[in-house]
Amino acid sequence: MSMETKRPQLNLAELHQLKWALGGALAMLSAWTVLYMDVDAWVWLVAITVSVPVVTRWPVLALHVPRWAHRLAFPLFVALFAGDYYFNHEPLPAMIRLAMMLMFYRSVTPRKRRDDLQLIVLGLFLVVVAGVLSVSVAFAVQIVVFTACALLFLLVINLIDSAETGQVPAEVSAAAPPAWMRGEWSRLARRIHQATDWRVALIGTGVFGGVVGLSALLFFALPRFEIGNSFFLENMVTRQSKTGFSETVKFDDVTDIRQDTSVALRVEVSDRGAISANPYWRMLVLDGYENGVFSVSPALADQMRAQRRKAAQVSGSSRPRAGDAVWTFYLEPATTRYLPLLGSFHLLQFDGGPQEYAVNDELRLLRLEKTPVKMFAYRVEGMRTESALGAVEVLQPREVVPVYRDPSAEPDARKKSPAPMPTFLDLHLEEADLAKVARWAQSPAGMTEGAQAFAERACDWLARRHGYSLQVTLAAGDGDPLVRWMESTSPGHCELFAGAFTLLARSAGYPARMVTGFHGGSWNEGSGHLIIRNSDAHAWCEVFDPTTQTWVRVDPTPGGMAPGSKPAEESAEAVLARMRDTSWSGKLDGVRMFWYRRIVNFDQSSQVELARDAKNAIEARAKRLKEIINRRLAAISEWLKQPWDVARLVAWISVVVTAFALVLGWRGHGRLVWLRWRSGWNRGGVDPVRREAGRWLRRLEQKPDHPAGEEWTRIRADLERLRYGPREGWPNPQAAFRNAKRACR
Amino acid sequence: MSLSTPSSARARPVGPAADGGVTGWQSAQARSGRGRGHRWRAFMWSLVYPYRGNRLLLTLPGGIVIVVAMGIGAAAYNTANNILFIALSLLLACLMFNGLLSWVNFHALSWRLRAQPPFRAGRDHTVSIELHNGRNVLPVYGVWFEISATGEKRPARLPLRERLDAQGTALLEWTLRPAARGRLRIELLSAGSLFPFGFLKKLIGSELKREVLVWPAPVAYQRHPIASWQQAGRMEPSVRPGHGGDLLALRAYARGDSHRLVHWKASARLRRLMVRQYAAETQQGFALWLRTSAAEWPRAEQFELLCSVAATMAEDLFRAGRLTSVAIDDEAPLPVRRMHDLERFLDRLAVVKPSVQSPPTSPGAPSVRRANVLTFAPDGARGVAAYVDGNKAATA
Repeated sequence: MSMETKRPQLNLAELHQLKWALGGALAMLSAWTVLYMDVDAWVWLVAITVSVPVVTRWPVLALHVPRWAHRLAFPLFVALFAGDYYFNHEPLPAMIRLAMMLMFYRSVTPRKRRDDLQLIVLGLFLVVVAGVLSVSVAFAVQIVVFTACALLFLLVINLIDSAETGQVPAEVSAAAPPAWMRGEWSRLARRIHQATDWRVALIGTGVFGGVVGLSALLFFALPRFEIGNSFFLENMVTRQSKTGFSETVKFDDVTDIRQDTSVALRVEVSDRGAISANPYWRMLVLDGYENGVFSVSPALADQMRAQRRKAAQVSGSSRPRAGDAVWTFYLEPATTRYLPLLGSFHLLQFDGGPQEYAVNDELRLLRLEKTPVKMFAYRVEGMRTESALGAVEVLQPREVVPVYRDPSAEPDARKKSPAPMPTFLDLHLEEADLAKVARWAQSPAGMTEGAQAFAERACDWLARRHGYSLQVTLAAGDGDPLVRWMESTSPGHCELFAGAFTLLARSAGYPARMVTGFHGGSWNEGSGHLIIRNSDAHAWCEVFDPTTQTWVRVDPTPGGMAPGSKPAEESAEAVLARMRDTSWSGKLDGVRMFWYRRIVNFDQSSQVELARDAKNAIEARAKRLKEIINRRLAAISEWLKQPWDVARLVAWISVVVTAFALVLGWRGHGRLVWLRWRSGWNRGGVDPVRREAGRWLRRLEQKPDHPAGEEWTRIRADLERLRYGPREGWPNPQAAFRNAKRACR
Repeated sequence: MSLSTPSSARARPVGPAADGGVTGWQSAQARSGRGRGHRWRAFMWSLVYPYRGNRLLLTLPGGIVIVVAMGIGAAAYNTANNILFIALSLLLACLMFNGLLSWVNFHALSWRLRAQPPFRAGRDHTVSIELHNGRNVLPVYGVWFEISATGEKRPARLPLRERLDAQGTALLEWTLRPAARGRLRIELLSAGSLFPFGFLKKLIGSELKREVLVWPAPVAYQRHPIASWQQAGRMEPSVRPGHGGDLLALRAYARGDSHRLVHWKASARLRRLMVRQYAAETQQGFALWLRTSAAEWPRAEQFELLCSVAATMAEDLFRAGRLTSVAIDDEAPLPVRRMHDLERFLDRLAVVKPSVQSPPTSPGAPSVRRANVLTFAPDGARGVAAYVDGNKAATA
């Protein structure tokens, strides 16, 4: 009989060592989720990052924490938490920092069973909160890795408990550290390698895959309905916008704009043909200019009518048309509170539930009350790509909320008239600068030009004098910085060009305004969506054309669209081919889009849609299968109906006979052939039949309740002859193994 | 007061019990002795109405997981936040898989109880639970068994401290010291496990019981110098096996037999190893007669001492080859030729109780005029004296 090598087992010390390592890994994994939360917990993050690997590597260090530190730890943490909350008034960041503190303490001190469980709960809290606040696709990876680590951790704890049952745990002290704290990690790794059966490891990995699969199934199957309002955690954290989208444009003497290629916006559209070749995503209109700063004038700000009601959808100012595409926008967290739009729309729906917003139909602007701190999705139907903004098609009755003015602060408030309508002609410049601008804006003598002609001339003038650059240094001097730039021949960026054009147009008597937003984008073919990055941020102008009574888009930046021009007629495929993003980041972005589209935005309607799609898919497959089967049966029936002749009969009989011969041959000899072939697998040359007989004999011995009798004795005798007897005296091995198999059932 | 000490499991080859002292195999799925078809029906029925003793209890980590899941679930439904739904789904999946893996851990694991008689009061005996992992790949982890015996205050827990590999066997041993003679019931109460993650404590009720007889405790006694002890008799061959010169029988070879005893011709004929067995030579023996009248033995402790003295003296005499027969009250004397006869007598002694009435002398009762009859009588308030032919032979 062959000697089987018994696989070693990890002893108690090695299990403790493994548990310690897993605890450290869990703490590190959970602590780094703080990066996604935009919470000031750097001190504890650094402390954990530095100390946990050190203490994990040398566990003896954990015993050197003095007793008084243990006694003071929890009162200190409570005091720090109370102080943090008192001074910052933000409960969630304080709780996160408290969790980090506790995690740090648990990671660097010896742990008992309940301390291990506390570590898992703290880690779970941090990971889930990070996921909720960031809605990042990294959360999916993190939670899966955390779950795997935590389950392994719990398994090792369980094995330690089994091994220690009934034993009194020894006191640990720095003077006499336990054996596992002095163990070598390389030795542990070798022992784990020896003790691990690859089949069990494979099954364990498969089981974990099953856990993930089952959780995915549960995720899609759990019924969705909302009981309450929007998520409360968002209100517990104050986050600042990260991008450059502020509500003013300021011109400094030195400007150096960094190209930020991170994604700001993703757009999905139901009809690819609706994507224009050169989209301008409007967000904000700046009409006031003073002291080198473009901003929203008070008059224009009053025009944004705030809707105090929370609504989940907003009716727009365009009429619905047949075949209108549905646009779904996914705005990255903390980008802006002004929603990018191409133009007027018919209906806008917020995917995250009711929102407070302000809207201006004439300006085609929609603003949220607060900048979203997590990914924000909204759906737009009937959106128009407008290069010229005219009168709205549908005048929506918007609720006008009177602005409250405190009478005590303004005694003459009753007499004060409301802010005048914006004229888009205001020029708050000094006399000298006004004169310069007027001189540049003046049309050639005797020439009467319309707004479009003026726009072309002004753009041409700016392009001849200035190149494009993101690094700008203005000439030194007094006066308005924008006018100084216009006077120089320095290159400039889009804001300078747009600001300069606005000044020129106003000086020439044409109402003009600066518009900021995004321009262009790239197409992700894999996931079928548009990617607009922060580097696509742009500023352009709109000038009022009195002949058409429309606001015409003008992009004075070199390379921008000519004023009033319409995009060339191109097919959707040509447009998308030109915009295609083939970079690796584009491919990765597809994963994020899938995450947002299918997971984060999964709601009741998505569930119904999924169920419907699944049903349709199953029905389609079943139908196809049925057709295939019917076709095959019809073919067989047709074949059988044909006249029979000798050749057909012989062919049919030979097929049947061959099939029978194969089956009988396998039953009679095939297994022997298989066993002989298997013996070539480096098995030490033992006859496979004898080995197989030995295996059956062992199984028979271990069979707990076998019937006594002649048949059992005969089966056993046959197996013993195969195992020990000479080859000449062997019974039929196949029959013997078959009988043994039957007896073992 | 009995002492019992659970000891750790050892994975070593387990041989068959000498006299069987073993219950049938039991597993989590099927009780022993049932066919395959019945196992499926029993399994399906057990999903609706679990077996007696099968329980699933929540542990502290399991409770924490459920509370956390409920909290996350409430938050998820309150806010329709899919991140929370993901977390909730993962927690629920982990709980479900904990249950599944816990079931898998017990699947194909079978066990049986081994309690090897004879048991003597006041001495340590080993009761063992033999485990067998019938799976081909997966090992068994973290299982324990709760076992109790009559008179034990608390059941003992025998844990499987190490991994039990596929197709492997292990032995969990429990040291039991019965306090008094009589019938002892050893019962395997349940098998349990917290495997794999400790969320749920799975308990499988067991119906394994074993009743053993506990012989009286050996006791020291003092022999008095009487003629009968030193009486030298003709050494005669007896019908008991021993080391005399007369061939008694041939028997099959047993491990430990000397090779010199092998009878090669018989072995060749019968195609199995056979050894010679010789008869023992004995001296003139004693007949032991035990009377259990309650009137004669009013005190319970004294009666117990009587049983212990009788058992001890019977064993000593048998070992010396001088015990010819035994009798209790008015029963016919039973000849004692082999160990089995002595064991039968000791079994009777294990359960004998003081008889209420003095039994009348029956024709079969040994006459006092027979020589070398060993009888017993109280010696004072607490002692027991043995008499041979009216002469005090020993006291305890």
